[in-house]
Amino acid sequence: MIIPKSITFRLTLFFSTASTIVLLLIGLLVDTLVEAHFEHMDQNELAGKLKLIRHAVENVSSDADITALPAKLNDALVGHNDLFVAIINKSHQLIFTTADTNFTTAVLKRIEENTTSKHSDLKVWRHDKKIYRGKISYAKSHIPEQPNLLVLLAIDIEHHQEFMVEFHRNLWIAIAACIGLTILLGWTAARRGLAPVRDMARVTRGVSASHLAARIPRGSVPPELIGLATEFNEMLDRLESSFRRLSEFSSNLAHELRTPISNLMTQTQVILSKQRKREDYREILYSALEEYERLARMISDMLLLAKADNGQIMPDIELVDLAKEVSELFAYYEAVADEKEIKLVLEGHASVRGNKLMLRRALSNLLSNGIRHAYRASEVYVTIESNPAASKETILVIQNSGEKISGEHLPLLFDRFYRVDPSRQKSSDGAGLGLAITKSILEAHQGKIKVSSDDKSTRFQVTLVSASHAD
Amino acid sequence: MRILIVEDEVKTGDYLKQGLSEAGFVTDITRDGIDGLHLLMTEEYDLVILDVMLPGMDGWQVLKSVRQIGKQMPVLFLTARDRVEDRVKGLELGADDYLIKPFDFSELLARVRTLLRRGKTKETELLEIADLKLDILRRRVTRAGKRIDLTSKEFSLLELLLRRQGEVLPRSLIASQVWDMNFDSDTNVIEVAMRRLRMKVDDEFEPKLIHNIRGMGYVLEIPEK
Repeated sequence: MIIPKSITFRLTLFFSTASTIVLLLIGLLVDTLVEAHFEHMDQNELAGKLKLIRHAVENVSSDADITALPAKLNDALVGHNDLFVAIINKSHQLIFTTADTNFTTAVLKRIEENTTSKHSDLKVWRHDKKIYRGKISYAKSHIPEQPNLLVLLAIDIEHHQEFMVEFHRNLWIAIAACIGLTILLGWTAARRGLAPVRDMARVTRGVSASHLAARIPRGSVPPELIGLATEFNEMLDRLESSFRRLSEFSSNLAHELRTPISNLMTQTQVILSKQRKREDYREILYSALEEYERLARMISDMLLLAKADNGQIMPDIELVDLAKEVSELFAYYEAVADEKEIKLVLEGHASVRGNKLMLRRALSNLLSNGIRHAYRASEVYVTIESNPAASKETILVIQNSGEKISGEHLPLLFDRFYRVDPSRQKSSDGAGLGLAITKSILEAHQGKIKVSSDDKSTRFQVTLVSASHAD
Repeated sequence: MRILIVEDEVKTGDYLKQGLSEAGFVTDITRDGIDGLHLLMTEEYDLVILDVMLPGMDGWQVLKSVRQIGKQMPVLFLTARDRVEDRVKGLELGADDYLIKPFDFSELLARVRTLLRRGKTKETELLEIADLKLDILRRRVTRAGKRIDLTSKEFSLLELLLRRQGEVLPRSLIASQVWDMNFDSDTNVIEVAMRRLRMKVDDEFEPKLIHNIRGMGYVLEIPEK
């Protein structure tokens, strides 16, 4: 299992890895440059000495000169203790050397081993615990039988090596220190950079069902996190409003249940308080039955809402012809509408996919609502059409002429147990769950509902996904 | 007609037994699934009312075992849980109907009668009671020889009442049978429709045939003198 690492850790790791790589590359570069610099210096020195030797050798024209050459060269090379020079003639006889014979023999052996390599190349070798850099070259003499003398030149570069060892050590210590420092700096930077996230986390920690009012102040949030902070604040807004509705629902529910139960208790207690006629008992039982029916209906409505909230109300989905459904509902409400001399008018048609029973129930509530609130001898219109703005939407409008519902009630109409007029609690509109049920059913169908009302009429507009576009 | 009630809830069971006995059925009652199954295997019943949640053995298992031994009497399930899966499971196991608590007793009675009648009714073309006649094929209704004009839904409503004369039909059953409204809707609608039908069928005639039984529903019958 991979344990997710903290962002601070990731940033620090990334930052220090990057700077370690950079530092190592710089170290390598410096190292190479210093080496090259020393090599260059050695080469220059060797070239200078070679020039000196060549000059001395050039003046040799007789055997006497050859005999004098060592003394001459010794004079010229005095003070250069770390320099080794050997001059050899063609038959490998040593004419001049600054070191002991042992060393010269060893050098000669190396030359023989390396006859293939070009003589001008600088070579590094180790002898007697010392490191030398040197080259093989020629010097022209004026002795006819020995026109070219082999010149061996070498410098003891041990002090360079010592320097390099020291230099390497210091370099690595510096790099290691820098890496340590970048880790520390990276960690600090990451922590400081993530401070707004921690602030957000602190706000989040303060959020609970009873403290939903906390919001992330937008001013303190860096631009990268504004989106997140906004989403978070909006989520809190939604949660707060849902919570508020839920708690209102609970208190309304308790109230709704208390009223009929209190009625039942009181009337039963009163009727039992003394001996009564048979008809009185019968009457009280009928009255109780009506209360029970109200309770049973409320409970089944609430169960339906709970099921709708949990997405359990759509066992089977089929093609639903809205016009057909509305016509059947018209047939159902025909008698009621007739009593109020209301004309039911249907225009347009469209099909949607959904659960027929549920959609019928949703529309039934709207239609019953429309008829109930319509003026006597008016019309209730149902219009079905495709949304001209978005073809995948079907719009169904139920409109009745009636008293205006004032603006403050409109957004709350679909709330559970909400009633425009609280005194109408006992009237035929049931427990005030009808529109809430309609809304829940439509939402389960990915639909929407909105309501508008003016002095003349009230319109409920239902938006559903057209059948050809529904998945 | 003999009915077995398997219900562990004491009050529910007692009221079911009382109600069904008073409606003219012979009833036996048992409180747990194992006893219920035993009775079903040894006795002959015309119908079983089975609670889902039972001690000993649940309603589904009882139903499964009963069907396995080849008994085909109708089974009406009672349950407090209204979940689609439960309903599907019950019907798959061979239940004939399903009622969710709380239910109207009149609804239960109507469904019991429907189940018992299933497959035994012969389609008649002419339904009548007293001097009211309804001709299904010609879609004509007369009372005392006088033609009565009905809308098509009123015709269906009267047909339902006539087919099940003497039975109290709850509003929900009427809404479901006549208008195909299979949910609790505005019961006011049924009252208005009934009032209008009674106006046409009963107002000018004697005896009154359609009666509202308060808290129960409607019944079509010749009232006892």
